[in-house]
Order: sequence, then structure tokens, then C-alpha cells
Amino acid sequence: MRIDTLNVVAVLCVAFVTIGGQSFERKVAQLLHGEADDLKCFVESKKDLTCFWEEELERKNSHDRYTFMYSYEKEKSRTCDISSLSLLASNRTVFLCKLPQVLFFTVLDVQVLHDGRMLYNRSLNVENVLFLDPPRNLTVVSSGKEGPLNVSWLPPHLKYMDDSMIYEVRYAVEGSHMGKVEEIKASTKLILRGLQPGTRYKVWVRVKPDGVAYDGYWSAWTEPVFGATPPSDMDPLTVLLVLFIALILFILSVTVILSRHKFLLKKVWPDIPTPEHKFPGLLTVCEGDFKEWMRQNNGNMWGRSVHVYTEELPSPLEVLSEISLASHATSQREERITLEEEEEKMESEGTDSGITGSWREPSHAHWFMEQLRALQENPQSLSQSMLLESPDTYVTLNQNSQRARAEDDSQVDDICDESLPLQTLFSNTGTSSLSASRSDLGSLQQSSGSGRLSSQSSFEYSNHTWSPNRPGYTYMAVADSGVSMDYSPMSLSRIEDLGKRVIYTNEYKNEIFGHKCPISGQC
Amino acid sequence: MQKFSDLVLVLMVFVWLRGDPVSPLRPICDLRILDHFVREARDSEVIMRGCRGGCGVMNSYFVPLTSVDFAVWEQIDAQGQAEEVQTGLSLLVQALSAARNTVSSSPLISTLDNNISNIHSLSQILQSLHLEQGRSTALSDDSASISIQTQEVSTLPELLQVQSSFLRGKVRLLFSAAPVCQKRNR
Repeated sequence: MRIDTLNVVAVLCVAFVTIGGQSFERKVAQLLHGEADDLKCFVESKKDLTCFWEEELERKNSHDRYTFMYSYEKEKSRTCDISSLSLLASNRTVFLCKLPQVLFFTVLDVQVLHDGRMLYNRSLNVENVLFLDPPRNLTVVSSGKEGPLNVSWLPPHLKYMDDSMIYEVRYAVEGSHMGKVEEIKASTKLILRGLQPGTRYKVWVRVKPDGVAYDGYWSAWTEPVFGATPPSDMDPLTVLLVLFIALILFILSVTVILSRHKFLLKKVWPDIPTPEHKFPGLLTVCEGDFKEWMRQNNGNMWGRSVHVYTEELPSPLEVLSEISLASHATSQREERITLEEEEEKMESEGTDSGITGSWREPSHAHWFMEQLRALQENPQSLSQSMLLESPDTYVTLNQNSQRARAEDDSQVDDICDESLPLQTLFSNTGTSSLSASRSDLGSLQQSSGSGRLSSQSSFEYSNHTWSPNRPGYTYMAVADSGVSMDYSPMSLSRIEDLGKRVIYTNEYKNEIFGHKCPISGQC
Repeated sequence: MQKFSDLVLVLMVFVWLRGDPVSPLRPICDLRILDHFVREARDSEVIMRGCRGGCGVMNSYFVPLTSVDFAVWEQIDAQGQAEEVQTGLSLLVQALSAARNTVSSSPLISTLDNNISNIHSLSQILQSLHLEQGRSTALSDDSASISIQTQEVSTLPELLQVQSSFLRGKVRLLFSAAPVCQKRNR
């Protein structure tokens, strides 16, 4: 029992000394950095004064070579035993002396000698170098609903000095580096006001003599203590106001939605577009059968004209032809033929909108027909009348057609640069195919509703279906399979053979270009 | 007979009055008064440092010792401390008065007058603390009866430094440790 008590006491002593030692070392370290004097002195309590100085790095000396002398006013000098202390934190060494006798309120002279030479000299009053321990038992308590924090602490253990101390309280929001400091004199309580509600705060305190009777250095900060402010109560007026505004906004939004619900519905959930407005009856009557719908709407023209290959559908092709008139007679005949053709077309086409044009400009057609007639009447002039002049510019075909023509028909001359399928048609040797260098489907829209026969009206006619009453018409079958336009004349023959085969020529004019190529073929 | 009783009554009243010539003072425990005096003593030192003429002559002044060894001081009883303080205050007043007569600088004169007045007030305050029971509290200039140790200073700056140290030290310790004030505060 007694041994246990002794053990406990011993442990406590060691702990106390250790803690005290740590505190002392911290004070030495703090003064080492903070104070300007080379020889620093401080008093921890009323009964010990410590003076220390840093070991000079140039001379690694032992403390034997130093002498510490001190003398109080009107007294003789005395020496003090020097010891050394290694600061672990900063890896420095200091020599220190703890004076055996401490007298306050009188002048103290201290000297440090190194090898007999004066190194440091200082006069001080001991009551002016107090270095106190931090305050004890710091507590932070929240007081009620209003939010201020009550901070209280105990002063360090120094008798009769409570009323000559000042304190500094530092507080900051937890996690923040911005803190506020408040100074308080001769009191160990403080009420922190103006804090944010519902926030956790960190509070520190430190102490210093007030400087009237005693003076010294600021102590170290205490360990931080946390305190939380209560969350703020909602002001009933504020709550009511917020609810009222929310209600008004809700009523407004409901009103807007109800008044424009159709519009909003259309925007949010749009209808699937149908072509019904453009194609009346397509979906309702014909049930999506476009051919049927076309048949119903367009009548004979389309029904007779459109013969679709099973494998591919005809697609619009704008082909501009340019044929120079070698002889008027030929052209005359051609024109006549063309005119008849056009008239027939006009009947059958009817009022198709957007697909075909109508022959409303007989002058052009008349001229073209004349050319065709001339061609028919005068086969020899074929070679010369390879170019059917038309007032418009034309699609350019590739060079194959031109070469083909050149090979077999030396009679071909005055060919316009923009050679056309008609040239091929009139050549003796047939070219298998011509590739249009360009197909301008854009003319679909341009020529719709116009008076000219547009390129859309490229029809494929089989030999048999066409009326045999129309000999001499060059027939072109045009098929659009993908990118390239591939049209091949169904028959290529001399004019003599025209009667056996059905040749049909269409004049394709581009409405945009208005100039007329001369008959000579030079555009 | 009745006249005699009346006379006795009147005499008793007089004796009672004479016996306690100073009315019982309420204890003045507020240390701010003392701090005020300490600051004014420090101001005198500052003025003294700035004095450029007529700042007194060298003289021999006997002043109390100001050093305090807490280990020793706390061993002395309250009465002993009070006596030491009172004697020291008395010495200071004498020295300050003597020094004031040699000074011609008006700011220094006024601050010295202030200090002298303050020390008188301190003496009164000490009496209010009832620390010296049954002893004469009046300031005495009889140096022979002084039991405390003294020191000798020769210049006015030293004198003012002694005054400052004495007030901050022993006088204040006595005040803060006065039993009367301890009972009131706690």
C-alpha cells in the first residue's frame, strides 16, 4: 500500500517535471525567436529567474568557458552555475543559468563572460520579465437561444496577481483561418457576441502582466476549446412572408399553365408531322399508297407516263440540251414534233404542282419542235445539226459523249461545249451510256410552276409504249441509280430508222439562264 | 446629581470622540487607485529623463529598500509588512520634499508635488485597511525608530526610481494581500 502510494507519487512527480520541462523548453524556444536581446531572461513564477543565451555556431564550446555574473543593486557580484539545453524542435543549443535568489522591484545586473572577456551585459528589473503559463481550465458554453458564447478560464497559479493580468481571447470558425481577438483586463470571463448561428467555434486564451506593477511576455495560447452556437430560430414573420410569396408564385404559375396549356403541350410534346396538309387524302383515302394517290390526282398523264422498272424508280433529272441547227428544215420538223409532243404533254400533265411544269411557253417549244422537224426531214443534216440551240444554258455532260461523237461522226462540228444527250442520240454509233456530269435536281423546285418543261420531267419510255405515230423522236431512258446519272438512249439510229424506233426528245431548259445559244453552236 | 450624570455623559462622549480622532475609514480595497499612483510615479521618471535644467542637485537621500524576496516576504506577517510599508512611505515623502526644494523646472515641480500628495493618500488608505492595530499610524520623521533597512541615493532620478519600485512592490503586495480586502472580494 505504501509502496503503491510512493510509486504513484513518483510517477506524478516525473510527469509534472516532464510537463514542466516541456513548458520550460517551449518558453525558451519562444523567447529565442521572439526577443532581440542576445541574453534573454524570464521569470516563470515568483521564485525562479532564468537567463540564457544561444550557443554560437562558430565556436562549439562547452559551458566551462563561460562565466555568468549577476549582482543586485548595491550588492556584490555573484556567479551562477551554467548548464546547457538542446532544443529538439529547432536543433539548437542554449546555455542557461537559474539564479538562486530572485529579488523583485530592484535592479539586477547580469554579465556573461567568455574566456574572461565580456560577452553580454544587461540590466533589468525582474518584475518586468514575467513569462506566465497559459490560463487553465478554459471552457466555452453556449448561452441560450440568442447565440453568444460564454468563455471562462482560470488564471495561472500566481498569488495575488490576478488583478494585474490581461488576457487575450482568440476565436474563429472551425476550419477557418480568420480569427478575431478580444482583450480583457482583470477578468476571467468573456461573452462572445455577434457570432453566426449554428456554427462551431474554436477559442484560445493567453495571458500577460498588465504592465502597471508587473510586465512581461505573452504566454503561449491554450489548447483550443470548441463551442457551438445554437441554430437560429426562424422568425415567424419571415416564415409567413416566405409562405405567402410561395403561394402567390404557385397560383401565378398554375394560371399561366392553364391558360396556355395547349401551346405548352405542343412545345413539350409535339405532334408527329404528317404530310396530310400537303397531300390531301394520301393517308386517309389512299392509306399511304402514293401511286394510287398520284393516279387519282393526276389522271392520265402520270398513269400512262410513269412506267417504273422493277428494280429502280425513276428520279428527276435535269438535262439541258443544246442542239445547233444545221438546217432550218430539220429544225422546223423537229420543232413541229416537239410542239405536238408538248401539246400532248400539256393535256396529260394537268395541274400537277411541284412535279412538272406545264408547257406554257409555246415559243420555246415551237422553236425546238421546228428544229426536230428539221432534223427528221433532213437526216444528213444530222451531223450538222447536232446542236439544238436553246435560249438556256445546259448541263454539261462528260467527255465520253463528245469523243464518241467525234469518232464516228466527223460530220459533227460546231459542237457547243455543253454537249447534250441529243448529240449522242443523233450519232450513228451508239454509245452505251452517258454519264451526266451533273444533274441538277435543284431545278425541280425552280421550274415548278413555271412555263417550261423542267428537267424533272425525265421520263422513261419503253419502246413499245410510246405511240408509234411519233417517229423520229429520240427516246431517252433516264434512270437515277444513286449518285451518277445514267441515261442511255434506248435507240440510236440514223434518221432513216427513226420510224422504226421510238425516239423522243425532251427539251430541258434551265429557267435561270436566259441567254440563247446561237445556232452556230457557239454559246 | 443630575448635573453630575449629565457631565459624565458629556465627558464620555468627548472621550469617545477623542479616543478615535480619525473616523473609522471604510477599507479602500480598489487597487486601481494604487495603480494610478504607480503610473504617476512612472510619469515623474519620464519627466525627469527629459529635464534639461533645474533638475535638482545631488544630495543624500535615505530611502527604503525596494527589493522583495517572495520567499522572505511571505514569511513576514501582515503587521510587519504594514509597518515596513508605512515607514518606507514616510522616508519617501521626506526625500521627495527635500528634492523638490532643489528643483526649479516647473513640470518637474508639479509632478513631484503630485507624487508627494499621492504618498500621503496611500498612507491614509493603508490606515483604512486596519493593518496596524494599536500603533501610531501617523507619519513620523523620526528615522531612529525605523527598523527597516534603508539605502542611500544621491540623485533625483535614482530617488524617483526607488519611489516607483517601492510602490509597485511592497506597497502593492501589502494592499493586494490585505485580509480586509480578501474577505470582501471572496
